[in-house]
Amino acid sequence: MIKIEKVSRNYKTGETVVRALKSVSMNIEPGEFLSIAGPSGSGKTTLLNLIGCIDSIDAGEIYIQDKAISTMNKEEKTKFRRNNLGFIFQTYNLIPVLSAYENVSFVLSLLDVQPDEIRKRTYEVLKEVGLEGMEDRRPHKLSGGQQQRIAIARALVKNPQIILADEPTANLDSKTGEEILKLMKRMNEKYKTTFIFSTHDQMVMDYASRLIQLHDGAIVSDERRR
Amino acid sequence: MKFILQLAIKNLTRYKRRTAITAIAIAMGLMMYILVDSILVGAELESMRNLRWYETASLRIHHELYWEDRNFLPLETAIDNPQEVLALVKNAGLAATARTSFLSDMILYSEDFGEDGNLSVMVTAIDAKTDFDVYGFENTLIAGRFLEPGEMDGLVLGSWFAEDIGAEVGFWVTLLTRGKGGFYEAFDMEIVGIVNCSNPNVNRSLVMMDIQAADLYLGMEGSVTSIDILLAEKADVEKAQKALQASLDEQNLPFSVHTWKDLARDYIALVEAKQGGTGMILFLVFIIAAVGVSNTMLMAMYERMRELGMMRALGMKDRDILFAFLLEAGGIGFIGAIAGILLGSLVNIYIVNVGFDFGFMFRDMDIGFRIASVMRGAWRASTMLIAFFAGIGLSMLVAYVPVRRALKLDIPTCLHHQ
Repeated sequence: MIKIEKVSRNYKTGETVVRALKSVSMNIEPGEFLSIAGPSGSGKTTLLNLIGCIDSIDAGEIYIQDKAISTMNKEEKTKFRRNNLGFIFQTYNLIPVLSAYENVSFVLSLLDVQPDEIRKRTYEVLKEVGLEGMEDRRPHKLSGGQQQRIAIARALVKNPQIILADEPTANLDSKTGEEILKLMKRMNEKYKTTFIFSTHDQMVMDYASRLIQLHDGAIVSDERRR
Repeated sequence: MKFILQLAIKNLTRYKRRTAITAIAIAMGLMMYILVDSILVGAELESMRNLRWYETASLRIHHELYWEDRNFLPLETAIDNPQEVLALVKNAGLAATARTSFLSDMILYSEDFGEDGNLSVMVTAIDAKTDFDVYGFENTLIAGRFLEPGEMDGLVLGSWFAEDIGAEVGFWVTLLTRGKGGFYEAFDMEIVGIVNCSNPNVNRSLVMMDIQAADLYLGMEGSVTSIDILLAEKADVEKAQKALQASLDEQNLPFSVHTWKDLARDYIALVEAKQGGTGMILFLVFIIAAVGVSNTMLMAMYERMRELGMMRALGMKDRDILFAFLLEAGGIGFIGAIAGILLGSLVNIYIVNVGFDFGFMFRDMDIGFRIASVMRGAWRASTMLIAFFAGIGLSMLVAYVPVRRALKLDIPTCLHHQ
C-alpha cells in the first residue's frame, strides 16, 4: 500500500544542513497499526510528514497505492490528502470556534458530501468515539482526551485509507492516553484503516502491531509485534 | 462555501475583543475621513456660494473686448446700452443688476483717520435699487446704512477693510481715479455704512458706491462695465450661459457671458490644487487606519497559524482558506465601516448645523476659502459609500498579505508554529 524507497530529507538551519532522514526504505501494508518510534530528532515526524504529503522529499520516492508522491503538484497533493488521508495531531488542532460536530463535519463538507449524509456520518462517528451528547460543545469545554477523540473522529469520518497520528498521546495523561490508543486500535480493527503514528511513549509502542525504530534519520529496527 | 461563511462569522463573534479593537480602528479612521471630507466639501460649497453671493454672481455679461483686459478694469470697453441687455436678461426670467468696477486711489485725512494717507482700492458702483436682487448684502450691514439710489457721495466699506484703515461711519475720504477716456477725477465721499458678510475677500476689500454717482464722476454716459445675473442655487450655469450668449448673439450685441467659474478662475485653480492636498490628508487617514488594522490582523494570523496548517493538511484548498480569512476580515471591515459611518454621521450633524468658528484665524490669514468665520460641513452620499467600501476593502487588503504569506509557508512550519 505504501512503499518508501531510499527516502532522504535534509533541512537547512542557517549554514548547517540537518539530515533528518537518511535513505529510509520500508513497505506498509493495508490495515497496519504501525508505530514509528525514536527519540527527539530521530526523523519520525519528518517521515510522517512525507507520507502525509505535507513535506517534500529530497531524494528517493514514496508510493502510495502505486502513485509516486514526488510527481504530484501542490493541488494534486491537496486533493490526495483530502480524499485519502486522515491526520491526528499532538495538540489536536481543533478549530476553537466550532463545536465538536462542526469540527468533524467540515472535513466532509470539503468533499462535497450531501448535507444529510454529513449529518448521519458525523453523528455516527462521534458516537463511535464516545462523544454522543457532546456534539454541540466547543473544544475548550472538553477535556484533552475528549478533544483528541474529536480529532480521531475528524480523521475517521471520511473513511480514509490511512490515518497519520503525530504523537497522539503526548499531551494526555497515561490513563486517557491508553483510552485513546484503545479507541484507535478498535477503529483500526473495525475499519481496517491503516494507522501510522509517531511516538516515543512506551505504551504506544506496546499497542503497535509493528514497531519501527528510528535513530538519527535511519531505521534501526523493524519489528512485527503481534 | 457554507462552511467558509460559517467559520468566518463564528471567528468574528468568537474573537470579540480582536473584532472590536480592529473595528474601532477602522471606525475611527473612517469617521475622520467622513469629517475631514465633510469640512472640506462644506468649505468648498460655502466658498462657492459666497463667491456667487458677494463677488461674482452666477453669470456676468461684459463687452467682448473687456474680458482680455479685465484685470485693469477698463472703462472704455463698457456696455453702452445696459437697459437693453437688462431687459433681455429679465425677459429670460433672471434677476440682474448693472455694476461698474474701477480702480482708484483712496485718500484718507488726518481729521478723521488720525493721519493722512492713501491706498489703492477697487471700487464697485452698484445700482442700489436692484443690487439686492442679485447679491446678498441685504442683511450684512453692521454700522450705518446702505446706499440710497442715486446717492452721490455715499460709500459703503467692508468691515475688515474699515477696521484696517480705522474708518467709521461719517468719515470722509477722497477717491482719485481716471474716468472713461482717461481724464482724472477726484470726488469726496462719506462713509455711510459698513458691511460684514461671510466672504472674507469682500470684508477685506469692499468699497461700494452708487452707480449713478459713478456714471457722473467717471463720464460713463449710461454705460456700465458689467451686468451681473443670479441663477437659482442648483441651476446649470453652463447651460444658462450658452442660452444667454445665444440670445445676445441673436441680437448682434457685442457682449460675452461668463460664468462665476470663469470669474473665479483663481479660486477654482486653488481648490483644484487643494484637492491634491486633501487627497493626501485622506490618504494619510487611511494609512493610519490600515496600519492599525494590519497589525491586529497580522497578530490574529500568527495566533491561528496552526489552525491554518491543520486546514491545509486536511486538504482544504489554499484559495478557500484565503477566502475564509478575507471574509472574516471583510466582516470586521463591515462592522467598522457601519460604526464609522454612524459615528461620523453623528458628529457630522454638529459640524453641518453648528460648525467650527475659525474667525479668529481667517481675519488675518487668507487660506483661499471664501469663508469669514464658521466652517460648516456638508453631507455627501458618495463619501459614505466610499467609507463603506473602503472599510471593507481596506480590511480585506491588509488581511490578504499575512494570509498569503502564511499560505506560502510549508504545512509543517504552520503546524509547529508557536
